[in-house]
Amino acid sequence: MNMIEFYHRRQAIILGFVSFATIVITWQLVVDFGLVNAFFISTPGAVWKELFVQAGDGSLLKNTLATLYGFALALGMAVVVGVGLGMVAGWFRDVEAALDPFIWFKYSTPTVAFYPLFVAWLGYGLPTIVAISFLFALTPIYANTLSGIKNVDRDLKRAATSFGATPLDIFLRIALPGSIPVIVAGLRLGVGRALTGVVVAELFGANAGLGYAIAFYAQKLQTTRMMIPIVAVVLIGVLLTQILSYIEQRSDVWRVSHDD
Amino acid sequence: MAMTDTSATSAVTSPPRRTFRLERSTTVSILAVAAFLILWEIAPSMGWVNGRFTSQPSLVVLAALDVFRSDNFLFHAQISLTEFVLGFALALVISVPLGVVLGTSKTARYLIDPPLMALYIAPTLVLLPILVIWLGIGMASKVAVVFLGALFPIVVNTMAGMREADAKLIRAARSFGASKLDVFVRILVPGSLPSILTGIRLAIGRAVLGVVVGELFVSQAGIGHQLDTYGSAMRIDRLLVYAFVVSIFGYALTLSVRLLEARIRTWRPE
Repeated sequence: MNMIEFYHRRQAIILGFVSFATIVITWQLVVDFGLVNAFFISTPGAVWKELFVQAGDGSLLKNTLATLYGFALALGMAVVVGVGLGMVAGWFRDVEAALDPFIWFKYSTPTVAFYPLFVAWLGYGLPTIVAISFLFALTPIYANTLSGIKNVDRDLKRAATSFGATPLDIFLRIALPGSIPVIVAGLRLGVGRALTGVVVAELFGANAGLGYAIAFYAQKLQTTRMMIPIVAVVLIGVLLTQILSYIEQRSDVWRVSHDD
Repeated sequence: MAMTDTSATSAVTSPPRRTFRLERSTTVSILAVAAFLILWEIAPSMGWVNGRFTSQPSLVVLAALDVFRSDNFLFHAQISLTEFVLGFALALVISVPLGVVLGTSKTARYLIDPPLMALYIAPTLVLLPILVIWLGIGMASKVAVVFLGALFPIVVNTMAGMREADAKLIRAARSFGASKLDVFVRILVPGSLPSILTGIRLAIGRAVLGVVVGELFVSQAGIGHQLDTYGSAMRIDRLLVYAFVVSIFGYALTLSVRLLEARIRTWRPE
Protein backbone atom coordinates (compact mmCIF):
# COMPACT_ATOMS: atom_id res chain seq x y z
CA MET A 1 0.00 0.00 0.00
CA ASN A 2 2.75 2.40 0.97
CA MET A 3 4.75 1.52 -2.10
CA ILE A 4 1.80 2.31 -4.35
CA GLU A 5 1.23 5.60 -2.57
CA PHE A 6 4.90 6.44 -2.98
CA TYR A 7 4.82 5.57 -6.65
CA HIS A 8 1.77 7.74 -7.22
CA ARG A 9 3.43 10.67 -5.55
CA ARG A 10 6.45 10.20 -7.80
CA GLN A 11 4.18 9.90 -10.82
CA ALA A 12 2.58 13.26 -10.07
CA ILE A 13 6.00 14.93 -9.83
CA ILE A 14 7.33 13.27 -12.98
CA LEU A 15 4.26 14.09 -15.06
CA GLY A 16 4.16 17.63 -13.69
CA PHE A 17 7.77 18.10 -14.70
CA VAL A 18 7.07 16.62 -18.15
CA SER A 19 4.21 19.06 -18.50
CA PHE A 20 6.34 22.14 -17.80
CA ALA A 21 9.17 20.83 -19.98
CA THR A 22 6.72 20.30 -22.85
CA ILE A 23 5.46 23.86 -22.52
CA VAL A 24 9.00 25.30 -22.60
CA ILE A 25 10.13 23.10 -25.52
CA THR A 26 6.99 23.83 -27.55
CA TRP A 27 7.46 27.52 -26.86
CA GLN A 28 11.03 27.39 -28.21
CA LEU A 29 10.11 25.22 -31.20
CA VAL A 30 7.17 27.29 -32.48
CA VAL A 31 9.54 30.25 -32.69
CA ASP A 32 12.44 28.25 -34.17
CA PHE A 33 10.22 26.83 -36.89
CA GLY A 34 8.83 30.27 -37.65
CA LEU A 35 5.26 29.44 -36.64
CA VAL A 36 5.05 32.43 -34.30
CA ASN A 37 7.11 35.59 -34.43
CA ALA A 38 9.50 35.87 -31.47
CA PHE A 39 8.40 39.51 -31.15
CA PHE A 40 5.07 38.32 -29.73
CA ILE A 41 6.05 35.52 -27.39
CA SER A 42 9.84 35.80 -27.04
CA THR A 43 11.70 32.52 -26.50
CA PRO A 44 12.66 30.56 -23.39
CA GLY A 45 16.34 31.04 -24.28
CA ALA A 46 16.01 34.81 -24.53
CA VAL A 47 13.98 34.97 -21.33
CA TRP A 48 16.62 32.89 -19.53
CA LYS A 49 19.33 35.35 -20.61
CA GLU A 50 17.14 38.29 -19.67
CA LEU A 51 16.68 36.80 -16.23
CA PHE A 52 20.39 37.27 -15.53
CA VAL A 53 20.28 40.82 -16.88
CA GLN A 54 17.37 41.83 -14.63
CA ALA A 55 18.77 39.93 -11.67
CA GLY A 56 22.20 41.47 -12.29
CA ASP A 57 21.17 45.11 -12.50
CA GLY A 58 18.96 44.72 -9.44
CA SER A 59 15.71 45.70 -11.18
CA LEU A 60 14.13 42.30 -10.53
CA LEU A 61 14.90 42.51 -6.83
CA LYS A 62 13.79 46.12 -6.61
CA ASN A 63 10.46 45.44 -8.30
CA THR A 64 9.83 42.27 -6.32
CA LEU A 65 10.52 44.06 -3.05
CA ALA A 66 8.27 46.97 -4.02
CA THR A 67 5.43 44.57 -4.83
CA LEU A 68 5.95 42.55 -1.66
CA TYR A 69 6.03 45.74 0.41
CA GLY A 70 2.66 46.90 -0.92
CA PHE A 71 1.36 43.37 -0.58
CA ALA A 72 2.47 43.06 3.04
CA LEU A 73 0.97 46.42 4.03
CA ALA A 74 -2.35 45.61 2.35
CA LEU A 75 -2.56 42.07 3.67
CA GLY A 76 -1.64 43.19 7.18
CA MET A 77 -4.43 45.77 7.18
CA ALA A 78 -6.87 43.31 5.65
CA VAL A 79 -6.08 40.71 8.31
CA VAL A 80 -6.51 43.17 11.19
CA VAL A 81 -9.72 44.67 9.82
CA GLY A 82 -11.15 41.47 8.30
CA VAL A 83 -10.54 39.22 11.29
CA GLY A 84 -11.58 41.95 13.73
CA LEU A 85 -14.83 42.77 11.92
CA GLY A 86 -15.48 39.09 11.24
CA MET A 87 -15.21 38.24 14.93
CA VAL A 88 -17.50 41.07 16.01
CA ALA A 89 -20.01 40.29 13.24
CA GLY A 90 -19.83 36.56 13.94
CA TRP A 91 -20.62 37.11 17.60
CA PHE A 92 -23.25 39.88 17.35
CA ARG A 93 -25.99 39.13 14.83
CA ASP A 94 -26.99 42.78 14.48
CA VAL A 95 -23.47 43.80 13.49
CA GLU A 96 -23.50 41.09 10.86
CA ALA A 97 -26.83 42.32 9.53
CA ALA A 98 -25.60 45.92 9.47
CA LEU A 99 -22.44 45.02 7.56
CA ASP A 100 -24.15 42.55 5.25
CA PRO A 101 -25.33 44.94 2.50
CA PHE A 102 -21.88 46.52 2.25
CA ILE A 103 -20.15 43.17 2.09
CA TRP A 104 -22.58 42.05 -0.60
CA PHE A 105 -21.88 45.20 -2.50
CA LYS A 106 -18.15 44.57 -2.23
CA TYR A 107 -18.60 40.96 -3.33
CA SER A 108 -20.35 41.91 -6.53
CA THR A 109 -18.36 45.02 -7.41
CA PRO A 110 -14.95 44.73 -8.95
CA THR A 111 -12.98 46.99 -6.61
CA VAL A 112 -10.97 48.18 -9.59
CA ALA A 113 -14.04 50.03 -10.87
CA PHE A 114 -13.30 52.51 -8.09
CA TYR A 115 -9.65 52.80 -9.03
CA PRO A 116 -10.03 56.32 -10.49
CA LEU A 117 -11.78 57.33 -7.27
CA PHE A 118 -8.85 56.14 -5.17
CA VAL A 119 -6.45 57.99 -7.41
CA ALA A 120 -8.52 61.12 -6.85
CA TRP A 121 -8.43 60.57 -3.08
CA LEU A 122 -4.94 59.23 -2.52
CA GLY A 123 -2.96 60.09 -5.63
CA TYR A 124 -0.97 57.77 -7.83
CA GLY A 125 1.39 55.31 -6.19
CA LEU A 126 1.65 53.29 -3.02
CA PRO A 127 -1.41 54.52 -1.03
CA THR A 128 -3.77 53.73 -3.91
CA ILE A 129 -2.09 50.39 -4.54
CA VAL A 130 -2.38 49.40 -0.89
CA ALA A 131 -6.01 50.56 -0.72
CA ILE A 132 -7.04 48.53 -3.78
CA SER A 133 -5.17 45.47 -2.60
CA PHE A 134 -6.61 45.82 0.92
CA LEU A 135 -10.15 45.85 -0.45
CA PHE A 136 -9.36 42.85 -2.68
CA ALA A 137 -8.16 40.80 0.25
CA LEU A 138 -10.69 41.96 2.84
CA THR A 139 -13.79 40.05 1.70
CA PRO A 140 -12.62 36.42 1.94
CA ILE A 141 -10.86 37.07 5.26
CA TYR A 142 -13.93 38.72 6.73
CA ALA A 143 -16.36 36.15 5.33
CA ASN A 144 -14.39 33.17 6.60
CA THR A 145 -13.83 34.62 10.07
CA LEU A 146 -17.54 35.38 10.26
CA SER A 147 -18.62 31.88 9.31
CA GLY A 148 -15.99 30.32 11.57
CA ILE A 149 -17.20 32.18 14.66
CA LYS A 150 -20.86 31.79 13.71
CA ASN A 151 -20.77 28.06 13.10
CA VAL A 152 -19.36 27.21 16.48
CA ASP A 153 -20.12 23.67 17.63
CA ARG A 154 -23.48 23.90 19.40
CA ASP A 155 -22.93 20.85 21.59
CA LEU A 156 -19.64 22.21 22.84
CA LYS A 157 -21.27 25.55 23.54
CA ARG A 158 -24.14 23.94 25.44
CA ALA A 159 -21.78 21.74 27.42
CA ALA A 160 -19.61 24.74 28.35
CA THR A 161 -22.64 26.81 29.33
CA SER A 162 -23.99 24.10 31.60
CA PHE A 163 -20.61 23.98 33.33
CA GLY A 164 -20.90 27.70 34.00
CA ALA A 165 -18.89 29.23 31.16
CA THR A 166 -19.50 32.93 30.47
CA PRO A 167 -20.02 34.16 26.91
CA LEU A 168 -16.45 35.49 26.97
CA ASP A 169 -15.17 32.03 27.95
CA ILE A 170 -17.12 30.49 25.10
CA PHE A 171 -15.75 33.02 22.65
CA LEU A 172 -12.14 32.59 23.74
CA ARG A 173 -12.13 28.87 24.44
CA ILE A 174 -14.55 27.45 21.86
CA ALA A 175 -15.45 29.85 19.06
CA LEU A 176 -11.98 31.22 18.49
CA PRO A 177 -9.91 28.01 18.48
CA GLY A 178 -12.68 26.22 16.58
CA SER A 179 -12.66 28.74 13.78
CA ILE A 180 -8.91 29.02 13.26
CA PRO A 181 -8.78 26.55 10.32
CA VAL A 182 -11.58 28.45 8.56
CA ILE A 183 -9.85 31.75 9.22
CA VAL A 184 -6.57 30.41 7.84
CA ALA A 185 -8.46 29.21 4.74
CA GLY A 186 -9.75 32.76 4.36
CA LEU A 187 -6.19 34.04 4.70
CA ARG A 188 -5.09 31.73 1.88
CA LEU A 189 -7.78 33.20 -0.39
CA GLY A 190 -6.90 36.68 0.84
CA VAL A 191 -3.22 36.23 0.03
CA GLY A 192 -4.01 35.43 -3.60
CA ARG A 193 -6.41 38.32 -3.92
CA ALA A 194 -4.07 40.79 -2.20
CA LEU A 195 -1.37 39.87 -4.70
CA THR A 196 -3.81 40.35 -7.60
CA GLY A 197 -4.80 43.70 -6.15
CA VAL A 198 -1.23 44.95 -5.81
CA VAL A 199 -0.19 43.84 -9.27
CA VAL A 200 -3.32 45.15 -11.00
CA ALA A 201 -3.04 48.52 -9.26
CA GLU A 202 0.64 48.62 -10.23
CA LEU A 203 -0.29 48.01 -13.86
CA PHE A 204 -2.22 51.28 -13.83
CA GLY A 205 0.12 53.59 -12.03
CA ALA A 206 3.27 53.10 -9.99
CA ASN A 207 6.95 53.83 -10.22
CA ALA A 208 8.20 50.43 -9.07
CA GLY A 209 6.86 46.92 -8.66
CA LEU A 210 6.33 43.85 -10.79
CA GLY A 211 3.01 45.07 -12.18
CA TYR A 212 4.65 48.37 -13.05
CA ALA A 213 7.51 46.54 -14.79
CA ILE A 214 5.04 44.47 -16.84
CA ALA A 215 3.14 47.55 -17.98
CA PHE A 216 6.37 49.49 -18.59
CA TYR A 217 7.93 46.83 -20.83
CA ALA A 218 4.57 46.30 -22.54
CA GLN A 219 4.46 49.94 -23.55
CA LYS A 220 7.89 49.53 -25.11
CA LEU A 221 6.73 46.25 -26.74
CA GLN A 222 9.61 44.34 -25.12
CA THR A 223 8.04 40.92 -24.65
CA THR A 224 11.23 39.21 -23.48
CA ARG A 225 11.68 41.68 -20.64
CA MET A 226 7.98 41.43 -19.73
CA MET A 227 8.21 37.69 -19.20
CA ILE A 228 10.49 38.04 -16.17
CA PRO A 229 8.06 40.01 -13.97
CA ILE A 230 5.13 37.89 -15.25
CA VAL A 231 6.84 34.67 -14.21
CA ALA A 232 7.90 36.28 -10.94
CA VAL A 233 4.29 37.17 -10.09
CA VAL A 234 3.09 33.64 -10.91
CA LEU A 235 5.87 32.12 -8.77
CA ILE A 236 5.17 34.43 -5.83
CA GLY A 237 1.47 33.58 -6.04
CA VAL A 238 2.10 29.84 -6.07
CA LEU A 239 4.69 30.03 -3.31
CA LEU A 240 2.57 32.13 -0.95
CA THR A 241 -0.49 29.95 -1.49
CA GLN A 242 1.52 26.80 -0.86
CA ILE A 243 2.84 28.23 2.41
CA LEU A 244 -0.67 29.10 3.52
CA SER A 245 -2.00 25.67 2.50
CA TYR A 246 0.71 24.11 4.66
CA ILE A 247 -0.21 26.31 7.62
CA GLU A 248 -3.86 25.46 6.99
CA GLN A 249 -3.16 21.75 7.28
CA ARG A 250 -1.06 22.25 10.38
CA SER A 251 -3.71 24.39 12.06
CA ASP A 252 -6.16 21.53 11.81
CA VAL A 253 -4.04 18.58 12.97
CA TRP A 254 -5.19 18.67 16.60
CA ARG A 255 -8.81 18.28 15.55
CA VAL A 256 -10.34 14.85 15.95
CA SER A 257 -12.36 13.85 12.94
CA HIS A 258 -16.09 13.64 13.67
CA ASP A 259 -17.26 11.58 10.74
CA ASP A 260 -16.97 7.79 10.86
CA MET B 1 -31.72 6.10 14.36
CA ALA B 2 -29.88 8.89 16.09
CA MET B 3 -28.78 10.21 12.71
CA THR B 4 -32.30 10.49 11.31
CA ASP B 5 -33.46 12.05 14.57
CA THR B 6 -31.03 14.96 14.50
CA SER B 7 -31.57 15.69 10.82
CA ALA B 8 -35.33 15.64 11.30
CA THR B 9 -35.27 18.09 14.21
CA SER B 10 -32.92 20.50 12.48
CA ALA B 11 -35.08 20.37 9.35
CA VAL B 12 -38.16 21.18 11.39
CA THR B 13 -36.77 23.86 13.68
CA SER B 14 -34.40 25.80 11.48
CA PRO B 15 -36.70 27.25 8.78
CA PRO B 16 -39.08 29.20 11.08
CA ARG B 17 -36.20 30.49 13.21
CA ARG B 18 -34.42 31.53 10.08
CA THR B 19 -37.31 33.56 8.67
CA PHE B 20 -37.72 35.28 12.02
CA ARG B 21 -34.05 36.20 12.07
CA LEU B 22 -34.22 37.32 8.48
CA GLU B 23 -36.85 39.90 9.34
CA ARG B 24 -34.84 41.42 12.14
CA SER B 25 -31.62 41.34 10.17
CA THR B 26 -33.35 42.90 7.16
CA THR B 27 -34.45 45.85 9.29
CA VAL B 28 -30.93 46.29 10.63
CA SER B 29 -29.50 46.05 7.12
CA ILE B 30 -31.87 48.67 5.77
CA LEU B 31 -31.13 50.97 8.72
CA ALA B 32 -27.39 50.60 8.15
CA VAL B 33 -27.67 51.45 4.46
CA ALA B 34 -29.96 54.38 5.23
CA ALA B 35 -27.52 55.69 7.84
CA PHE B 36 -24.68 55.42 5.37
CA LEU B 37 -26.59 57.26 2.65
CA ILE B 38 -27.66 60.03 5.01
CA LEU B 39 -24.12 60.46 6.32
CA TRP B 40 -22.82 60.54 2.75
CA GLU B 41 -25.44 63.15 1.82
CA ILE B 42 -24.88 65.54 4.71
CA ALA B 43 -21.11 65.15 5.23
CA PRO B 44 -20.12 67.32 2.21
CA SER B 45 -22.86 69.87 2.97
CA MET B 46 -21.65 70.21 6.55
CA GLY B 47 -18.11 70.66 5.30
CA TRP B 48 -16.79 67.49 7.00
CA VAL B 49 -15.40 66.23 3.73
CA ASN B 50 -14.73 67.83 0.38
CA GLY B 51 -17.76 67.11 -1.83
CA ARG B 52 -15.56 67.22 -4.90
CA PHE B 53 -14.00 63.95 -3.80
CA THR B 54 -17.05 62.15 -2.46
CA SER B 55 -20.03 63.49 -4.40
CA GLN B 56 -23.46 62.95 -2.80
CA PRO B 57 -26.22 60.36 -3.27
CA SER B 58 -28.59 62.99 -4.65
CA LEU B 59 -25.99 64.11 -7.19
CA VAL B 60 -25.33 60.50 -8.16
CA VAL B 61 -29.03 59.95 -8.82
CA LEU B 62 -29.15 63.07 -10.99
CA ALA B 63 -26.00 61.94 -12.80
CA ALA B 64 -27.60 58.53 -13.35
CA LEU B 65 -30.59 60.14 -15.09
CA ASP B 66 -28.15 62.15 -17.19
CA VAL B 67 -26.03 59.15 -18.09
CA PHE B 68 -28.94 56.92 -19.02
CA ARG B 69 -30.59 59.61 -21.13
CA SER B 70 -27.53 60.79 -23.01
CA ASP B 71 -23.82 59.87 -22.79
CA ASN B 72 -24.16 56.91 -25.19
CA PHE B 73 -24.73 54.64 -22.21
CA LEU B 74 -26.23 51.82 -24.24
CA PHE B 75 -23.35 51.91 -26.71
CA HIS B 76 -20.72 51.50 -23.97
CA ALA B 77 -22.77 48.94 -22.07
CA GLN B 78 -23.22 46.91 -25.21
CA ILE B 79 -19.49 46.81 -25.88
CA SER B 80 -18.66 45.68 -22.37
CA LEU B 81 -21.47 43.15 -22.40
CA THR B 82 -20.33 41.70 -25.71
CA GLU B 83 -16.80 41.29 -24.38
CA PHE B 84 -18.15 39.61 -21.27
CA VAL B 85 -20.51 37.25 -23.09
CA LEU B 86 -18.00 36.21 -25.77
CA GLY B 87 -15.20 35.56 -23.28
CA PHE B 88 -17.45 33.75 -20.86
CA ALA B 89 -19.10 31.57 -23.49
CA LEU B 90 -15.69 30.61 -24.85
CA ALA B 91 -14.51 29.77 -21.33
CA LEU B 92 -17.60 27.62 -20.68
CA VAL B 93 -17.22 25.68 -23.91
CA ILE B 94 -13.61 24.83 -23.14
CA SER B 95 -13.50 24.61 -19.37
CA VAL B 96 -16.31 22.15 -18.68
CA PRO B 97 -15.06 19.41 -21.05
CA LEU B 98 -11.50 20.03 -19.87
CA GLY B 99 -12.62 19.74 -16.25
CA VAL B 100 -14.44 16.50 -17.07
CA VAL B 101 -11.31 15.01 -18.67
CA LEU B 102 -9.13 16.10 -15.77
CA GLY B 103 -11.62 14.82 -13.24
CA THR B 104 -11.89 11.38 -14.79
CA SER B 105 -8.36 10.71 -16.04
CA LYS B 106 -5.54 10.56 -13.56
CA THR B 107 -2.77 10.87 -16.15
CA ALA B 108 -4.36 13.96 -17.69
CA ARG B 109 -4.68 15.44 -14.23
CA TYR B 110 -1.03 14.87 -13.34
CA LEU B 111 0.02 16.33 -16.67
CA ILE B 112 -2.12 19.44 -16.69
CA ASP B 113 -2.72 20.13 -13.02
CA PRO B 114 0.58 21.92 -12.18
CA PRO B 115 0.42 24.61 -14.88
CA LEU B 116 -3.34 24.82 -14.40
CA MET B 117 -3.01 25.41 -10.66
CA ALA B 118 -0.23 27.94 -11.23
CA LEU B 119 -2.56 29.93 -13.49
CA TYR B 120 -5.55 29.43 -11.20
CA ILE B 121 -3.65 30.80 -8.22
CA ALA B 122 -1.69 33.50 -9.99
CA PRO B 123 -3.48 36.64 -11.09
CA THR B 124 -4.26 36.02 -14.77
CA LEU B 125 -4.64 39.76 -15.09
CA VAL B 126 -0.83 40.08 -15.25
CA LEU B 127 -1.19 38.69 -18.76
CA LEU B 128 -3.30 41.68 -19.78
CA PRO B 129 -0.43 43.79 -21.19
CA ILE B 130 0.89 40.93 -23.29
CA LEU B 131 -2.63 40.13 -24.51
CA VAL B 132 -2.90 43.73 -25.63
CA ILE B 133 0.34 43.32 -27.60
CA TRP B 134 -1.01 40.16 -29.20
CA LEU B 135 -4.60 41.20 -29.86
CA GLY B 136 -4.59 44.97 -29.96
CA ILE B 137 -6.42 47.54 -27.86
CA GLY B 138 -9.86 46.60 -29.19
CA MET B 139 -12.41 44.13 -27.91
CA ALA B 140 -10.34 41.01 -28.66
CA SER B 141 -7.89 41.57 -25.80
CA LYS B 142 -10.76 42.04 -23.31
CA VAL B 143 -12.49 38.91 -24.55
CA ALA B 144 -9.22 37.07 -23.94
CA VAL B 145 -8.86 38.49 -20.42
CA VAL B 146 -12.44 37.50 -19.58
CA PHE B 147 -11.82 34.07 -21.04
CA LEU B 148 -8.67 33.53 -18.97
CA GLY B 149 -10.32 34.86 -15.82
CA ALA B 150 -13.38 32.63 -16.18
CA LEU B 151 -11.61 29.52 -17.45
CA PHE B 152 -9.71 28.33 -14.39
CA PRO B 153 -12.38 28.51 -11.67
CA ILE B 154 -14.74 26.46 -13.85
CA VAL B 155 -12.07 23.88 -14.79
CA VAL B 156 -10.95 23.46 -11.19
CA ASN B 157 -14.47 23.12 -9.81
CA THR B 158 -15.68 20.80 -12.57
CA MET B 159 -12.65 18.63 -11.89
CA ALA B 160 -13.36 18.63 -8.17
CA GLY B 161 -17.02 17.80 -8.76
CA MET B 162 -16.12 14.82 -10.93
CA ARG B 163 -13.61 13.56 -8.39
CA GLU B 164 -15.90 13.94 -5.41
CA ALA B 165 -18.53 11.66 -6.96
CA ASP B 166 -19.99 9.22 -4.46
CA ALA B 167 -17.91 6.05 -4.79
CA LYS B 168 -20.70 3.95 -3.28
CA LEU B 169 -23.15 5.07 -5.93
CA ILE B 170 -20.68 4.25 -8.69
CA ARG B 171 -19.98 0.81 -7.21
CA ALA B 172 -23.69 0.13 -6.83
CA ALA B 173 -24.38 1.19 -10.43
CA ARG B 174 -21.52 -0.92 -11.70
CA SER B 175 -22.72 -4.01 -9.90
CA PHE B 176 -26.13 -3.51 -11.48
CA GLY B 177 -24.45 -3.54 -14.87
CA ALA B 178 -24.11 0.16 -15.65
CA SER B 179 -21.67 0.98 -18.44
CA LYS B 180 -19.04 3.70 -18.13
CA LEU B 181 -21.28 6.03 -20.10
CA ASP B 182 -24.21 5.30 -17.78
CA VAL B 183 -22.09 6.08 -14.76
CA PHE B 184 -20.96 9.31 -16.38
CA VAL B 185 -24.38 10.50 -17.47
CA ARG B 186 -26.39 9.32 -14.47
CA ILE B 187 -23.96 9.81 -11.61
CA LEU B 188 -20.98 11.99 -12.46
CA VAL B 189 -22.83 14.72 -14.36
CA PRO B 190 -25.70 15.28 -11.93
CA GLY B 191 -23.35 14.80 -8.99
CA SER B 192 -20.93 17.45 -10.15
CA LEU B 193 -23.53 19.99 -11.27
CA PRO B 194 -23.53 21.97 -7.98
CA SER B 195 -19.77 22.12 -8.06
CA ILE B 196 -19.75 23.28 -11.69
CA LEU B 197 -22.24 26.00 -10.78
CA THR B 198 -19.99 27.11 -7.92
CA GLY B 199 -17.18 27.38 -10.46
CA ILE B 200 -19.39 29.43 -12.76
CA ARG B 201 -20.35 31.73 -9.89
CA LEU B 202 -16.70 32.35 -9.01
CA ALA B 203 -15.91 32.80 -12.70
CA ILE B 204 -18.54 35.54 -13.06
CA GLY B 205 -16.71 37.68 -10.52
CA ARG B 206 -13.39 37.20 -12.24
CA ALA B 207 -14.89 37.82 -15.67
CA VAL B 208 -16.53 41.09 -14.64
CA LEU B 209 -13.23 42.11 -13.08
CA GLY B 210 -11.50 41.20 -16.34
CA VAL B 211 -13.76 43.42 -18.44
CA VAL B 212 -13.32 46.40 -16.13
CA VAL B 213 -9.56 46.03 -15.68
CA GLY B 214 -9.07 45.39 -19.39
CA GLU B 215 -11.02 48.49 -20.36
CA LEU B 216 -9.42 50.64 -17.68
CA PHE B 217 -5.98 49.56 -18.86
CA VAL B 218 -6.51 50.54 -22.46
CA SER B 219 -9.68 50.88 -24.54
CA GLN B 220 -11.62 53.12 -26.87
CA ALA B 221 -15.09 52.40 -25.53
CA GLY B 222 -16.98 50.46 -22.89
CA ILE B 223 -17.94 50.90 -19.24
CA GLY B 224 -14.32 50.74 -18.10
CA HIS B 225 -13.39 53.39 -20.62
CA GLN B 226 -16.10 55.67 -19.21
CA LEU B 227 -14.85 54.98 -15.66
CA ASP B 228 -11.41 56.09 -16.73
CA THR B 229 -12.73 59.17 -18.54
CA TYR B 230 -14.80 60.42 -15.62
CA GLY B 231 -12.10 59.47 -13.12
CA SER B 232 -9.55 61.64 -14.88
CA ALA B 233 -12.11 64.43 -15.21
CA MET B 234 -12.96 64.17 -11.48
CA ARG B 235 -16.64 63.64 -12.29
CA ILE B 236 -17.13 61.46 -9.23
CA ASP B 237 -20.93 61.40 -9.63
CA ARG B 238 -20.78 59.94 -13.12
CA LEU B 239 -17.92 57.64 -12.18
CA LEU B 240 -20.08 56.20 -9.40
CA VAL B 241 -23.02 55.71 -11.77
CA TYR B 242 -20.88 53.51 -14.02
CA ALA B 243 -19.36 51.70 -11.04
CA PHE B 244 -22.84 50.95 -9.71
CA VAL B 245 -23.93 49.63 -13.10
CA VAL B 246 -21.06 47.15 -12.92
CA SER B 247 -22.01 46.24 -9.35
CA ILE B 248 -25.63 45.62 -10.20
CA PHE B 249 -24.68 43.52 -13.20
CA GLY B 250 -22.28 41.38 -11.16
CA TYR B 251 -24.72 41.12 -8.28
CA ALA B 252 -27.66 40.09 -10.47
CA LEU B 253 -25.66 37.41 -12.28
CA THR B 254 -24.10 36.01 -9.11
CA LEU B 255 -27.46 35.96 -7.40
CA SER B 256 -29.15 34.08 -10.23
CA VAL B 257 -26.43 31.43 -10.20
CA ARG B 258 -26.77 31.19 -6.42
CA LEU B 259 -30.53 30.62 -6.77
CA LEU B 260 -29.90 27.97 -9.40
CA GLU B 261 -27.37 26.33 -7.07
CA ALA B 262 -29.90 26.33 -4.24
CA ARG B 263 -32.56 24.80 -6.47
CA ILE B 264 -30.22 22.05 -7.62
CA ARG B 265 -29.07 21.37 -4.08
CA THR B 266 -32.65 20.77 -2.89
CA TRP B 267 -32.91 17.37 -4.51
CA ARG B 268 -29.63 16.36 -2.97
CA PRO B 269 -29.67 15.16 0.59
CA GLU B 270 -27.13 16.62 3.06
